[in-house]
Formats: sequence, structure tokens, C-alpha cells
Amino acid sequence: MGKKVLEVKDLVTTFRIGKKEYEVLRGVSFDIEENETLCMVGESGCGKSVTTLSIMDLLPNNGRVVSGSIKLNGQELTTLSPKERNALRGKQMGMIFQEPMTALNPLLTIGRQMTEGLRLHLGMSREEAYETAVSYLEKVGIANPGDRMKQYPFQLSGGLRQRVMIAMVMAAQPSLLIADEPTTALDVTIQKQVLVLLNRLKKDVSTGILFITHDLGVVAEIADRVIILYSGRKVEEGSIEAIFSRPLHPYTVGLMKAVPNVDVDDFDIQPIPGTFPNITEEIGGCRFHPRCPYATDRCRTEVPAEMEIAPGHFVCCHKVEEEHR
Amino acid sequence: MSQEKKVLLELKKLKKYFPVRRGVQIKALEDVSFSIYEGEKFGVVGESGCGKSTLGRVILQLYPQTSGACIYYGRTRDEMCPRYLAKEVAKLPEYQKKATEFYQKSLEVERKAEPLRQTIEALSAHGTSRETKQEAALQKRLSELEFRAKELRKDASRQLREGSRTVGSLILCKELPAIQALFDKAQKETAAAAAATRKYRELEKQFEQARVEGTPDKGLQEKMEKAEREIAGHVEASHNYRLQAFQEYRGRDILPITERTQDPEYQAKLDRNYETGINLGKLTRSEMREMRREMQMIFQDPAASLDPRQSVGKSIEEVYVINTDYPAPVRREKTMELLERVGLKREHYYSYPHALSGGQKQRVGIARAIALDTRFVVLDESVSALDVSVQAQILQLLNELSREKHLTYFFITHDLGVVKHFCDRILVMYLGNVCELAESSALFHKPLHPYTESLLAAVPRLKVGQEHSTEFVLEGDVPSAMTPPKGCPFHTRCSKCMEICTREKPPVVEQEPGHFVACHLYEKKKEETEA
Repeated sequence: MGKKVLEVKDLVTTFRIGKKEYEVLRGVSFDIEENETLCMVGESGCGKSVTTLSIMDLLPNNGRVVSGSIKLNGQELTTLSPKERNALRGKQMGMIFQEPMTALNPLLTIGRQMTEGLRLHLGMSREEAYETAVSYLEKVGIANPGDRMKQYPFQLSGGLRQRVMIAMVMAAQPSLLIADEPTTALDVTIQKQVLVLLNRLKKDVSTGILFITHDLGVVAEIADRVIILYSGRKVEEGSIEAIFSRPLHPYTVGLMKAVPNVDVDDFDIQPIPGTFPNITEEIGGCRFHPRCPYATDRCRTEVPAEMEIAPGHFVCCHKVEEEHR
Repeated sequence: MSQEKKVLLELKKLKKYFPVRRGVQIKALEDVSFSIYEGEKFGVVGESGCGKSTLGRVILQLYPQTSGACIYYGRTRDEMCPRYLAKEVAKLPEYQKKATEFYQKSLEVERKAEPLRQTIEALSAHGTSRETKQEAALQKRLSELEFRAKELRKDASRQLREGSRTVGSLILCKELPAIQALFDKAQKETAAAAAATRKYRELEKQFEQARVEGTPDKGLQEKMEKAEREIAGHVEASHNYRLQAFQEYRGRDILPITERTQDPEYQAKLDRNYETGINLGKLTRSEMREMRREMQMIFQDPAASLDPRQSVGKSIEEVYVINTDYPAPVRREKTMELLERVGLKREHYYSYPHALSGGQKQRVGIARAIALDTRFVVLDESVSALDVSVQAQILQLLNELSREKHLTYFFITHDLGVVKHFCDRILVMYLGNVCELAESSALFHKPLHPYTESLLAAVPRLKVGQEHSTEFVLEGDVPSAMTPPKGCPFHTRCSKCMEICTREKPPVVEQEPGHFVACHLYEKKKEETEA
């Protein structure tokens, strides 16, 4: 067992819409160890991004963490003041976003943006920061880093921008890296380059990575463990082998069947019927039951509890629970 | 590829350049040629910037093409008579005259070159240094003349080729006025067919009205059938006039315009140029608008293609407001039927886009695209923005619709998993060029082009436990389309790059039946290129 970098327990986050508060996260728990990549999978609106924003304390004004705990290296975050949280961001935890162009300042050179964080968070001198920035640009596989430092974001391609973002975040050697769909906007060939890079960096710098994606193929490529979210609740958690060889929750199974698999020849497209629920919708019991082919009366009324089917493999489903009793 | 498949759309050397500033252009499409068959799901893959979206838009004439032709066979020239055809028929004698002129000029230049040639021969026999110098100067002059003669001959055959698009090898005939007269008659019949179509539409409107009111009219149906027969009659008559022209004049009284005109092979070649379809690039705006009843587009972001201030029903109904003169109750009923057809509820007529989920919005986009007599749909990344479970639903719906309405899809995507299972044939593009075109199983089992190989290797697999190969990971980025690499566009990133690749652009070669590839590795079979 490695050191636990992040522990999230029963996290509940709500958003205020009009005069009502709606639960977006309904009690999510997970943890990440050093040198581990945890992939969080789910459809849009399931609460993946809200989880990361809750951890980073970057929720919009109408959202707030209501209860639960978030511990970074054993330190409780939810009770810290905004100022103290601010000191942690960028230093102990860094984040990469989906669209690097919106995360980079178009008016400043790459060098200026890279050294700013290093000087601010790590108190480096101008020269030290420059050296570190160049060495990290080299590490992420950018040729002639010296020249790149003088360029502006618009002069770089999408793949290079994302590399710069990664270098920027990793240069501070954070213990936790949150990557929110970092490869979704990239082409497959560039995506592959970035995934290979992230896998290598994880080994170099002992960082825990929380990787958000909706692409199960990417998960297979990068994850050590996977958690699957559905409408603000965790439905399944397990090692990558367990999830792919033995998915148990009907939603996980449905997702696997819906992805057009390149390696299969006669693939029959099997969608999950129905639509993803809105957060404002009241659904009793298991949130998935309106779309679940196995739904029973119990599913409609009782929220399924988390059950450990095999070591490290957790499922929240009445059907699976009954079968394994 | 089986012969009985009907070609719906044929692209001939399609080019599209976007001007950036003086002398600088983005070469978005370079000589793209291929055919799309009726009823097929044709997939296009490639990285961003490879020109796949541009291709879709150029086909629909949303961007004007720089050169080349885009020929649509969904309607023949017997059914629709675009204005450019009449002009072309009128221009036929001009083509013939110009071709003759160009060729005569080239002969003149040749005559000038002949004495030069003789002098050079005489000079080279001596070979002192002064004479060698003189010889070099003359040689330069001679090659200039030869070049001019060649260009003039090319101009002549270009003129004939233009003409042959309209009348095939008949452009060579002496009896051009008689042929023109027959073609004009054919066009009159087509015009009559168009008038009959308008009558048919009027009847259809009344019929739909009666149907919506719940009193289907048998008499109207009979009248409609009669109108349909009338249209068919005119179309056939038009076809017959053209056939008559060919039967009477083909191969008769061929003018000696150039040295090749008597060659039956050349005549056959000109015959092959004869277009029965409609050249979309030459249509006028209003004619193209008429064509859009059949050719539609579905976009990636359904939210952006719907007006947020208009109810979904109104958005769809707009199609009928613009293209038909159905009265309001008919339009509403048809819209509601459409909503049901794409898996929404009739109540959704009154909802606004913000109240729908992404998948539902995309369904509205689909409803709009199939509202009229659609036959050809360009889907530009239409399922890319959707979640997997919804994506599968939309793909299923598209599948059903294509079977039901015999739609032909031009499916643009970057997701190889989706094309593999959704499309019949797949085109791989790189920097505006065709890399590979094959049936989907052939492409995935036996990719030929190195780019296709690395593209396939880069797809994240749903497999765990094995080391993911890094062997085919492509280095670097796609080069800029403003300054594409010389030779094969892919050579800068290709692992199998040879010397020839940096110099010469590989032609598209049919390596195996129905499997086309543009790569120097497969140069051996060079004969057949897809025209």
C-alpha cells in the first residue's frame, strides 16, 4: 500500500438554481495513492467535473460543498480558509483542463506563464525558474524549449499547448494532478502522444493522478483503478482489470456495450435506453432504475448501498448484491 | 466493387483553396476524386485540418470549389434542366471552333520549329566551340517553341473535353447544329417535366391537407399518379431525343479537328466524359436551393444549429415554410409526425432547445434534415459531441432512417470505432489528400497506407493487461496546409519514407478491387486510377 495522497469521503455538493438547492454529488467517496492513476468515468452531467472543482475549491458561486471531507496528504481541506486553499493550489495540487487555449493566457509568452507559477509557489529566482521551466518543457518532449519559451500560445498546435500545460503543472511537483478530459479535444494520434507522456511522467514524479474522461478506451490505456459515476453517485469502483473483465453494475455493462469497439468485427450497436437524468429530477431509490432493464420495486424505493464484491471491487446495485449474498 | 451499384455522387479532381493573403493559400483539398454509391454509408476520417469538413461543405456547395467537378446523379439532366446546360449546348460550336484554332496554331508553331531542328542537326555535325554556343541558343528557342506547341495542343483538347461533358464524342461531328437542335428539344421536354412537377407539388399539397383533416381523397391520389406519369413521360421523351442524337450522329462525319479525332479510342474517351448527372458547381443559387431539398447536412453541435428563441416545432416547420406552400395545419401535422419518427414526442413541438438534452437536440437536427425528399446527407461529426450511450441511440436511429428512406450518408468523423461499425466504405484523408479508400472491413484488417496504420494504432483500445504498443506512435504534428510538404504530404511523419516520397506525389492506385491507396510502396500496380 502506497501513501494516500487524496481521500474523499461522502462528498455532497449542491448547486442553487433559483431558490432551490439541488444535490449534484450525492455522497461520493474514493482515494488515490502515490503513483496511481484513478480514472473517473461517466456521461456529461454525472458530476465528474463538479468533483474536481470541489477538490480544487473552484466551484462557481452558486455551488458549495455541503458535507463530507476531502483530505490532501492527510490534511482536511474543507475546513481551511479560502486563503489557505489558495496556497495549496498549483503547489500541492495542479489541474489540466480540456481546452488548453482557454487555460493559457493568449497575451503572455509561454516562458512568462511557466515561470510565474514557479516563482510564486516555490519562491524560485528568475533564473532558477527559467532553468526549471526549460527542463520541464524538455521532459514533456518539446523540441527546442528555449525557443518555445519565447512564443505565444497561438503559435503552438493543440498537442503542444497541452504539453505546455502539463509541463507547467508538473514543474511544481504537485502530489496530486487533476486532469479533466485533457485529451478530448485532441486528435487520436496526438492523444496517444499525450497519454504516453502522462504515463511516463507519473513514474518520474511520484504523483497521484485523478483522470476524468468519458472515453473508455482512454481509461484502458491509462488507469490503474476506475470509478464510475452516475448522476452524482458512484455506481462501481475497481481495478482496471476487474472493471473491464468483469463489469457488474448494469450501467457499466451498458456503457461497455455502447462503445463501438475497433477490435470487434460484428459489433451490434446497443444503446442504453432512455436519457440521462437532469440534476433537478427527483428519482427515488437507485438513480439508474428508469433506464435499467433489471429494475425491481426495491430499486425504485431504496438507495443501494456500496458492497465489496471482491477485494477492491465495489458495486452499488441491489441485483448484484442479491446475486452475491 | 460490384457493377450494379448506382453512383450517386462523383467527385472529379476537386480542389479547394482558401485565400489567406496575396500569394498564400490554404490548400484544403487537393485533387480529390472518388464516387459515392446510392444508399451507402460513406465514412471520412482524418485528423483535424485534413479537409474532411471542407470536403463535406464543398459537396453541398456551401463553399464554392476552386476547380474540379462535383456531379450528382440523384437527378439526371433529363429530369432537371439547369440553366448552365442550355448555355453549354449553345457554346458547342464555339468549343469546336476554338479547338480547331488552337490546333492549327500548334501546327504553325511546329512548322516554325522544323527548320530550327534541321539547323541544329547541321550544327551539331560540326561541333566547334562557337557553333556549340550557337546550337545551345537555338536549342533553347526550339524547346520554347515545342513547349508552346504542346500547350496549344493541350488547349485544343481541353476545349473538346469541355464540350464532351455536354454531348460526349458528338462534339467532333460536322452536323453540330442538328445535334444542338435535338438537345434543345430534349431540354424543352425537361422544362415541361419541371412544369408537371410543379403541378404535382400542388396536388400533393391538397392531398396532404386532406390527409391531415382526416379525409383522404382517392381522386386526388389518382390525379397525382397521373401527374407522375406525365413527368415520367416528359423525362423519357427528353432522354429519347438525346439518345436519337447519339444514334444518328455518333461516329458520323467526324471533323479532323486534331490528329486524334479519328481514333475510336479517343472518341470513346470523350463519350465517357458525357455527364448524365448534374454538375453542382455550375448551378445557379436558386437551382442549388432546389437541390437542397435532396441534399442536407447535420452538424456536430445541435445546440448551435437551433435557434434558442424558437420552439423546436417552429424550427423544423421552417423547412416547410421555405420550401413548400403547405398551409399551417399541414405543416404542423407533418412536423409532429417527424418528431415521432425521430423518437421524440409530439409535445416536443412546443418545447425550446434549452429544455432538451444533447441527444434530443440532435434528433431535432435529424428531423430537419429529413423533412423533405432527402436522399443525401452530410453528417459532420454529428455524434462526436454526444455521450456514448446517447451516441449509440443516434447511430441506431440513423441506421433505421437510411434503410427506410434509402438515404446516402457522407459521414465525417474522427472516431474510428464509430466509422468501423457504421460505415460501408471509408475514406482516409491527410492534408487535403486522399490516402486510402476501402470497404470498412478491408481497411481495418488490411490497412495499406502507413498513415492509416498509425491512425489505427493510436485508437485507445478496450483491452487491459497488455502493454500498449508505442511502436506506431506518430511523431510531431500535421504540417501546415499553407505550405504542405513536397511530394507525398505524409512523408514528414512517415516511418517508411523513401527517397521518392520527398519528390513525387503518389497517385491514387487501385491496389486491390475496391481498395484504393496513394502511396509509393504500392507503385507496382499503377495502371488503374479511379477517375
